[in-house]
Order: sequence, then C-alpha cells, then structure tokens
Amino acid sequence: MENLLSIFVNSALIGNILLAYFLGMCSYLSVSKNLQTSLGLGLAVTFVMTITTPVNWLVYHYLLAPGALAWARLPDTDLSFLKLVLFIATIAGMVQVVEMVIDRYSQALYNGLGVFLPLITVNCAILGASLFMVERRYDFWETAVYGFGSGLGWLLAIVAMSTVMQKLRYADVPAGLHGFGIRMIVTGLMAMAFMLFSGITL
Amino acid sequence: MRNNLKSILFAAIMCVVCSLLLTAASTGLKPLQQRNIVLDRQKNILIAFGIITQDQKIKNDDIGALYKTSIKHRMVNSSGSLLADSSRETNALPLYIHIKNGTVRAYVVPIDTRGLWGKIHGYLAIDNDGATIKGFTVYKHSETPGLGGQIQSRWFRKNFEGKKITDQDGNFVSISIAKGKTGQVVPAGKQPNYVDGISGATLTGKYLTAGFKTILEDYEPMAIEFRQKNQLYLRGN
Amino acid sequence: MKLTGNKTCKAISEALWQSNPISKQILGICSALAVTVQLKTAIVMSLALTFVVAFSNLIISLIRHQIPRNIRIIAQVAIIATLVIIADEFLKAFMYDISKQLSVFVGLIITNCIVMGRAETYAIANPPMRSFADGLANGIGYGSILCGVAFFRELLGAGKLFGRQVVPDVFYEAGYQNMGLMLLAPGAFIIIGLFVWLEHSLLKDK
Repeated sequence: MENLLSIFVNSALIGNILLAYFLGMCSYLSVSKNLQTSLGLGLAVTFVMTITTPVNWLVYHYLLAPGALAWARLPDTDLSFLKLVLFIATIAGMVQVVEMVIDRYSQALYNGLGVFLPLITVNCAILGASLFMVERRYDFWETAVYGFGSGLGWLLAIVAMSTVMQKLRYADVPAGLHGFGIRMIVTGLMAMAFMLFSGITL
Repeated sequence: MRNNLKSILFAAIMCVVCSLLLTAASTGLKPLQQRNIVLDRQKNILIAFGIITQDQKIKNDDIGALYKTSIKHRMVNSSGSLLADSSRETNALPLYIHIKNGTVRAYVVPIDTRGLWGKIHGYLAIDNDGATIKGFTVYKHSETPGLGGQIQSRWFRKNFEGKKITDQDGNFVSISIAKGKTGQVVPAGKQPNYVDGISGATLTGKYLTAGFKTILEDYEPMAIEFRQKNQLYLRGN
Repeated sequence: MKLTGNKTCKAISEALWQSNPISKQILGICSALAVTVQLKTAIVMSLALTFVVAFSNLIISLIRHQIPRNIRIIAQVAIIATLVIIADEFLKAFMYDISKQLSVFVGLIITNCIVMGRAETYAIANPPMRSFADGLANGIGYGSILCGVAFFRELLGAGKLFGRQVVPDVFYEAGYQNMGLMLLAPGAFIIIGLFVWLEHSLLKDK
C-alpha cells in the first residue's frame, strides 16, 4: 500500500510525466490557451492513460515478454521487440472508444476538443507511460496506479498552464518572447515548482 | 466494396512486409545485443573492482579477456560456504571474486534493489578483509536524470571507496547514504559507514540504503568467513 | 530537372531555417528534450530521428499512390514504427552504452509529431527524392536545435562537452560552480524559451 501511494505521488507530482520527462508536449502546447479545453483534454488523457497502461501491461506480460507465451506452449518466444507497435495499436483503439463515448454523451466537449482527440493517439505521454511501465518492471497494480497518477499529473500541468496563460494576457512580456517563448519559460518555472514536491517523504 | 478489398489487401501486405523486416532485424542483431549486455556487466564488475576506470577506452575483446583471467563467478549458500559449480541449490547467492597471483583480492556482490522509480542494478566490491568497500557501480537504473540519476556519477561512486560495512569492533552495520554531506550530518564515529547523499534525491538514497542492508545481510555469513580467512574461496579452482 | 533541383533546395532551406521545427512547428518538441542532458546522446538521438524521418518520407512517398486513403494514417504509423524499431535494435547492437541512456526515448520517436507531420503533409503529395530531402532536412533542422540545447545544458550543468571537462579547474578554484539546474528538466524548458527569444529578435532585424 505504501508502495502504491509512493508511486502515485511520484508519478503525479515529483516525476510529472510532462514537466520532468517532457512527454505529451505537443498537445500541451497547442491546447493550453483555454481552461475549458485544457480540462477536457486533461481528463481525456487521464482516462485513456488509466485504461491503456494496465491493458498494455497485460498485452506485454501475456504476449510479448520473453517467455510470456508459455501458456500457448511457446516458452522460448521473445516478441518484446514488437511492443511499440502493439502498444500503439492498443492506444489507437482505446482513443477511438473514448472519442465515440464523448461524441455520444457530451457534444459540447466533443466540439471543444475537436481535432485534439485523434492527437491523443500520438500523445507521447500515453505511449511513454506504457514504455516506462515495462522499463521499470511494475507489477499490475503498480502499473494501474502509475497510469492513473501520470494522467493526473499531466492534467494538473495542462490546467495550471492554461490558467497561467490567462493571467499572462495582462502581463508585459518582451516582444520576442510572445507566444511560444514565454510558454516554454513558464513551463520551466512550473517544472521547478513541481520539483519541490521531492521534499515529500512517505 | 472494391475499395474495402483493396484496403484489406494493402494492410495485409504491409503487415507481412513490416513483420518480416522487424523479425529479421531483431533476430539478426540479437547475438550482438546480448553480447553487449554481457560485456556491459563484465565491464562494470571490473570497474567496481577498480581494475579498469570508467573513462578508460578499452576494446570489447580486452574486457572479455581481462574478465576471464581475473574474475571468477561463484555461488555461495546462505551459511556462507562455497558451492560447487554443479550444485543446484536454490537460494544460492551469486558472487564474483577477483583473483591475482593466486590470492583473492576482493569480491563483488551484485546489488539488485528497488529505487525510487524502478530497479537499480549495480555491483559493490568489497576488499578481501570482508569489510572495506573497494568500489561501487550502477549499470542500470531509472532514477530521475540529474537527481537520483547521479548514483551513476563519478563523485557518488568514488564516495564509496574505502568506506566500511562494519563498525570499529568489526560487527556488521551495512553502508548507508547520508542525507547530505557525511562530514556534517553523521557523528564522527559512524562516518566510515556513511557516504555523501545526493541533494534532491533523498528517496533514491533511502531505497538504496535499504537495499544495501538486505543484500549485505544475506552475504554476511560469507563476509565473516572472509574476515577470518580469505583464502577459503580459492578452493575448487 | 532543374525545376526539381530548385524545389528540392527550397524544401531543404525551408525546413532548415524558415520553419525550423522546434520553434515554429512546435508540435515536434515532445520527448526528445529528455535526452539533451549530454551532447553525445542528443547527437545520437538526432541521427536516429533523421534516419526515421527521411526514410519514412521516402517509403511513404514511394507508395503514396497505392495507400488507400481510409487506412492512410495507420499505414503511416506502421511504417514509422517499423523504422523506429529497426533504429532501436541497431542502437542496442552497436551503441549499447548510448542506447541504455536513451532508454525509452528512441521508441517515442514514433509519437514525435514531426515524423507524422512530414509524412502527412509532405510525403503523401510529393515525389520520393524530394520527400527524402525534406525528411533529411527536417531531421537535421530538428537535431541542430536538440544539440544546441544539449550543448548549453552539458556545458553549464556539468562543465563538460562530450563527457570531457572543458571548464578549467582554475575556474572551480576561483569559486565557479556548475549550474545544477541545467541538468534538470526546467533547464531544458528555459533554454528553449531563450532560443526562441533569440530567434525572434534575429528574424525581426532582417
């Protein structure tokens, strides 16, 4: 239990997947102007990540890992080099489902997220979480907590960013820094702030 | 309908071509990759012993040769005695011994422990007195780059050299990572059992400390034997 | 022939300067920043990315008339993924030390929006050689920024370049200290921000 809690805090705050590992920057930078959209995308990412990471764990441990095919009487097969392709496929499938669900139940959100939902497929954060889960050899529950924590961390970062950007409209930013430049610097400062969480000891 | 058929056909052909390419690349390069992994471990064992240094440019063949001539891989059981190569005892602990001119110079204990993020894999070399640390290396970890990642850095590893895993009376105490500089946060008497910590990576240090303790405790019966007579482990060569 | 040559040149110059990926096509920024702590890893990463972008452009352009429109994206992803895995396997076989440091980030090239973006916007509509050149130039343009970031991070953060000490000991004795922040994530963000600032100011002068 303590272990799971520490993975959760680590993935959501200290080792924030966006601010410490630079994953998921594409959608983060293109959407973070508007609080409503940011929140929606953040929730979508959290949701997709919470599902895909454990699903990919199952895929990896029952299909791909060395010796994983023992149940199919193929104990010597090692298909781990296929993990990238299969993970992407799982994610793409999951995103499709999420898109259909949102389309069905919240037209407003669907309109707001627009083109960004398909972008989730190529959101590095989601694939990254799956790859990290293999790299760090988490067990199933650790993976589930890690996926949820990372998604939540991403949500936090993008929502915080969009509120900062709103306030920045009233700030006097040097001309050359307008737009992209100041966003990177703000992200840098935010990353610094998130690092302070490493003072938390569990 | 024709379009669908075409799509399916296209997808099928592409799947076959891609998977053929991937399988070829993967199986073709596998021997090389596995050799790399073995060499990397051997190199790290040699570095832990201080036989070569981290930055030394050394050819792969030389690592293999050097490893073969100076390092022996052994298994010991939980009561500290050496097992024959053929022994299939479960719970046996792996051990690497550095032999020079027929005497045991030092031994290496593999450190596989939990870190903040994932496993930390490394080697801890201990002198043939069974108490003094000769070196420490990490060959695989997933700690935060720049913070916990510094466990791989030179200053942190150098930190271990000459430290003790026993107190002044020769009793086992393990080696710990201090929360800061040893000189400032650890009482003088205990300083040999502590190394400087990495600022900003308290948790990595905590997990590594715990890992050292559990692992070294397992090896303690053998370390005691070493403290008494280090030549024991040469038998069977 | 001359026309094609000109267009190739134009594609290259456009990718290298006028719309250099990291500052203008902000989409491509993901993931690769994590490997900019050291110059060496950044260069290897850039090479891997250039390889993937160039060849995925080439292959997709070659079969652009055959790809059915409805499964276009998935076909592109499959080609890119194959190339990325091949690059990854080669790194593991021939540059083990560096591939250890790059860990999952080579795999994440798949989701690098530059690669997908070039395939979707350029390769699908242009002839093979020009697409290849476009991919090459985009990869190099992107890599140059990656290496630029890595240069400053390693120099300021560790006083080293390519793992070799370049800040003389005299400096340290005089009280100079490495800037630890550069080695951490925020350093990368801030350097990129400053790069953009510099670029904007330079472009405005023109």
